[in-house]
Amino acid sequence: MKKFGKDMDRREFLRGLGTTAAALGTGAVILQTGSIAQAATPIKKYGMVIDTNRCTGCHGCSIACKSENNVPEGVYRSWVKQIIKGEYPNVRSCLLPRLCNNCEDAPCLNYCPTGATYRTPEDGVVHVDREKCVGCHTCVLACPYNSRFVNPLTGTADKCDFCYHRITKGLLPACVDACTGRARIFGDMNDPQSEISLYMAKYPIQGIRTYLDTKPKVHYVYADEAILDLDYSFLSRRKS
Amino acid sequence: MNSSIQWISWVKHGVVFGYLIAMYLFLISTAVGAHLVTYFTGRYYQDEDFLPLEKVGTFLPWLILLLMPSLLLVDMTHPERFYTMFYHWNWTAPVAYGVYIIPLCILTYALHSFYLFRPEMMLAVREDRAGSGLYRFLLWGGIEEGSATEIRQRQQKSQNLWANLTLVFSFLALLYVGLRLSSFKGRVMVHSMATVFIFLSLAASSGTGFMILLGRLKTAIAPPPGPALAKQNRFLADFGGILKYALVAQFAIWFVYLIQLGFTGSGGNLAAYIFLGGPRAVQFWFFQLVIGLILPLALMCFQSLRENPLASLVAGAATMIGAFFAVANLSIGSQLIPLTHLQWEQMAPEPFKTAFGLVIMAILLALFLVSYKILPYEKPVAQKSEA
Repeated sequence: MKKFGKDMDRREFLRGLGTTAAALGTGAVILQTGSIAQAATPIKKYGMVIDTNRCTGCHGCSIACKSENNVPEGVYRSWVKQIIKGEYPNVRSCLLPRLCNNCEDAPCLNYCPTGATYRTPEDGVVHVDREKCVGCHTCVLACPYNSRFVNPLTGTADKCDFCYHRITKGLLPACVDACTGRARIFGDMNDPQSEISLYMAKYPIQGIRTYLDTKPKVHYVYADEAILDLDYSFLSRRKS
Repeated sequence: MNSSIQWISWVKHGVVFGYLIAMYLFLISTAVGAHLVTYFTGRYYQDEDFLPLEKVGTFLPWLILLLMPSLLLVDMTHPERFYTMFYHWNWTAPVAYGVYIIPLCILTYALHSFYLFRPEMMLAVREDRAGSGLYRFLLWGGIEEGSATEIRQRQQKSQNLWANLTLVFSFLALLYVGLRLSSFKGRVMVHSMATVFIFLSLAASSGTGFMILLGRLKTAIAPPPGPALAKQNRFLADFGGILKYALVAQFAIWFVYLIQLGFTGSGGNLAAYIFLGGPRAVQFWFFQLVIGLILPLALMCFQSLRENPLASLVAGAATMIGAFFAVANLSIGSQLIPLTHLQWEQMAPEPFKTAFGLVIMAILLALFLVSYKILPYEKPVAQKSEA
């Protein structure tokens, strides 16, 4: 660029600016495309199926998760929703254990401005790097399942990562281990002989907000529609 | 169906983007809107007497953009790592674009302001007027000969270059604030292109309101000489006309948006309910509609009131208040819809953050007013007689 201000040639400046932007953009796209392509074809695809018929609502999973991952009071990586549906004498209790879906197309990962949220390419699990997270809360808002929170102890985004420190050592996630009704089945969905793949082949699978096309990897069996898909009109019919 | 449902256990997630982020989004749209409105009206008038208002519409937004990232930093839990955003660029994250767009806005606004003030600063240095020490420092020693008009003609090319670049980055900044909210998948209240258009209309109305408010304050604090004052008052009255149409456009966009929500399933209906009768109803009906839309529109419909300084001040301030609540209603309201249970999410009080935002706004206002006394907004009298 020529001398700043006085003798600047606009065309030359814009040409330089355009070339630099194009070079940077191309480089960034190549790098990003590479990482996406790598992430999109994991060797393993860890996921979970929760058979709500087997869930007894003991909240053992929530406690095991808190204990295993040192989750502070007031926030949860794993929790159980419970409703009582119907009117006496036709009353039914419905349960829905919840955790991060570790989506294949995770909005939280897409919206993280620092790359603190990332996916391990070998198994597709979505993680948060506490050293990189700036605590901007964007991912918390981006998650359409409200599965994220800002950890009050670390000040960084937090969520379930299927107890990655356990599963990489061949153990099951703490919630799966603690489940008294054996409602949670965890495993590699890419392996056709794994328990989870066989279970998914045997039963009709449900998911939360599947229309968003985030491809959640936590699936449900026999979950009641009333607890799975909320009827929001209920809120507008009564005082807040 | 749900009338027979009792919720036994669930988790509440609360609101993560509170009033501080609403202030951040509002200030960006106001600053950028003020600059865009000034830019286009300046090109329309092509009048030297409009230059003081062009300076108001460039330098003051620059101050806003300069201080506004502090709001974002205070909202973060690890602001000390903010710089990592510059090199951990995630191209699918709207915030990652903002990290570059806003600093580029700051840079181009600064250079555009510099060229706007440069001729008058040179004259002041040559004639050793008050503030010449500061001006000499800002000019970095390069003092040219000739009148302000001649210097301006010589620097026209550079001035136009930076002015045009501010235009590019201003539009990008507006798109950024719109996309920052509209990109949130599953948040039915904001996840549509309507959010981007809402921000465009808010920027137009709030930016014009800002120009009227700060333009009137400028003519009160540092009045230009007689004929220039009359012309500036006419320009400011014309801004009232622009504000009228910007408010009509804002009304139309909100109307279409609310109609759209009505056809977006039960989530959309609930989003509309949040504005019309739910938790944000007071903020919507009173602050956004009555104060921010109907009052300024009623005032700016009449030529006599557009020319009246007090009425225009009220209209400008009311428009900005309304725009702020419009942004807050969108940003906070979208988070009140529960995603995992059937109770409104609650916003925890944030006294420190809200106080910080108000302090920043007070500092900005003080800086605006001080700048009227320090910087040469008007043509120097001696130079005027030369001309």
